[in-house]
Amino acid sequence: MWDDRFEQILRPFLPFLPPREELTPESDLKDLGLDSLGTVQLLGTLEEGYQVRFRDSALTMDTFRTAGVLWDTVRGMLQSTAS
Amino acid sequence: MAHDTALVFPGMGPVPFAEVGRFMVASPYARDLVAVADEALGYSLVDAFRTSPGDYSEAAQVAFLVNCLACAHWARDHLGVAPGIVAGPSFGEKAAIAYTGALELPDAIRLTAEIARLLEEYFAEEHRDIVTLSFVRAPREGLDAILAELTEAGEWHEISCHIDDGFHMVSLSEHRVPWMEERLRAIGSLPLYTMRPPMHASAFRPLRDRAEREVVSRYSFTDPELPVVADQDGRLLHTGEELRTMLLDGFDHPMSWPSVTTALKEAGVRRLCVAGPDGLFGRVPRTVRDFDVAAAQPRLAMTPRRRSRAA
Repeated sequence: MWDDRFEQILRPFLPFLPPREELTPESDLKDLGLDSLGTVQLLGTLEEGYQVRFRDSALTMDTFRTAGVLWDTVRGMLQSTAS
Repeated sequence: MAHDTALVFPGMGPVPFAEVGRFMVASPYARDLVAVADEALGYSLVDAFRTSPGDYSEAAQVAFLVNCLACAHWARDHLGVAPGIVAGPSFGEKAAIAYTGALELPDAIRLTAEIARLLEEYFAEEHRDIVTLSFVRAPREGLDAILAELTEAGEWHEISCHIDDGFHMVSLSEHRVPWMEERLRAIGSLPLYTMRPPMHASAFRPLRDRAEREVVSRYSFTDPELPVVADQDGRLLHTGEELRTMLLDGFDHPMSWPSVTTALKEAGVRRLCVAGPDGLFGRVPRTVRDFDVAAAQPRLAMTPRRRSRAA
């Protein structure tokens, strides 16, 4: 599962997710209200929050399909930054 | 003359019937306009919108026009929006023309339906492989290099829309889209989606000529009650003839939202109301940085609220 910061960053971009409802790796972000411009803003916020830079294969709308896929992408960038 | 408040009618994106159907039948602001549309079209707009396939059907386009205008009237009564100037990027041109009285509403509705039919007919035969690809975060230098590669390869392409810094829409052959997306990602850009029918490219001059000959020439444009900002270059338009030209330019000239926002700022605008379903123009950094934005959306208009004068 992800760290607290990830969920803190992600939740404000999901207007249809009630505050007390659990966010799961399978949660479909579009269904929860993440639209195109929200995706762009979320991308920038994640880059700033984690000091990473999305590039190449990470820069597709598929990356933002579910919370789990998005976290895997962020975690992968953090691991390659650390190594 | 300074204009404190601007009314902006957004460009059209996909709006499912489920998102606005209730607004169209239950909101008195929409209902009255839908009744005008039913009479002008000779069929039920709501029924046609509900049953027509595709995001850009004739009924979907007329419904978008009607809903934008209904939202503007709602914003007048509930947000106290009294605009001194109007803009309408891309499809929003039609709502701007209707709102300012350059065309009476039944005429604006018929013109919208007729242009929608023409678009469908034209693109069924012509430019069948052309789509418009939108993307963000593309530094100009990197984008220019990619476009130069396309030119070198003999591939036709044009920038159709400039939305914000690094945010563009480019028309090109559909078979080149995967290549273009890969090149964009390599410079840190995020491709968003492709649209068809494409719009706003000089290659569509024959479409413009047909639209003028077969549709637009049958309507008389009167001078607008408020100045309108041309979405191609930010010029302030004051006559019916200028609005008519803007509408035709929309077929074969690129749209520039930065030119519009710059013109609005220079006109003294501080508050900007975006009337209609919009997930773009009222939210891009350029807009929220320069203006106090009020989003008059169908969903908001259907939310019970106390009457307020604060726009």
